[in-house]
Amino acid sequence: MHASAVIVGTARVASAPFETIVRRREAQVMRIAFRILGNWADAEDVAQETFLRLHRHGTGFRDEAALGSWLYRVTVNLCFDRTRVAKPVAEMPELRAAGISAESSVIRDQAKEKLMAALATLPARERAAVVLREIEGLTTAEVAEVLGSSEVTVRSQISKALGRLRGILHREEI
Amino acid sequence: MTEEDIRGLFREMREDSVPADSMARVRMRITERTATWRRWKRAALVIAPLCLLVLAVALWRPMSPRIVLPPVLPVRVEPAVMRPEPPPAQVVRRKQVARRRPPEQPVLIRIETPDPDVVILLVGN
Repeated sequence: MHASAVIVGTARVASAPFETIVRRREAQVMRIAFRILGNWADAEDVAQETFLRLHRHGTGFRDEAALGSWLYRVTVNLCFDRTRVAKPVAEMPELRAAGISAESSVIRDQAKEKLMAALATLPARERAAVVLREIEGLTTAEVAEVLGSSEVTVRSQISKALGRLRGILHREEI
Repeated sequence: MTEEDIRGLFREMREDSVPADSMARVRMRITERTATWRRWKRAALVIAPLCLLVLAVALWRPMSPRIVLPPVLPVRVEPAVMRPEPPPAQVVRRKQVARRRPPEQPVLIRIETPDPDVVILLVGN
């Protein structure tokens, strides 16, 4: 499911059992953590801590959007805490897209690997903005809410980040 | 690589799946931790009322027993015997002691006359 669709979604599971929420959201939380941190070990730790915080906080959210927003915010903040301690390691993604032929998959995977490695060089906040906006598909307003900054700042961060990524990938091609 | 290519790759990444073993590990760790938390919560639910009960017993004081008064028996009132009044106590009169006054000073009146060599002095007791 598209992430922004989840955030703007209806009040389906405002007070769903904790285990249900974990099952439905764990992949999303882990994906964000992995994209920001660059390795699965840290992403696992962040996902675990996020859900333990959810357990302590309780699952009685106003609606699905409130839950999604809360999860994004906690995940990103935990990632920021980790990036302050250690620089992200651009571990090559083990994520595999389904439904792509072997050859094109290899080419796309190489491109993704390069992109991920370039992404890992960006400052944490820019990286988070790109991950949430471009990969998770949140709107600029939603990203601004998660990061606790203005929409203008987010737009500027994404624009700067994309420029840097293009520059890095261009240098690699040469 | 153009910006559109980058955005396209990012869009593809949305569909990427997370390694199953990673998810399983996270789920297992969460289950363990929440189970521990649940055990503590259950223990607290049992222990808290027990503590309250012990506290209540410790603070409880039984009410003081009611004092039962014996029945009042009629008492025969005997006529009061007139006793002779005791003689009035002797009043000791104190000898009044005259207050000592300070010795009176003689009054001196000085009258000056127009003549500077003549001054009239009046002395009175």
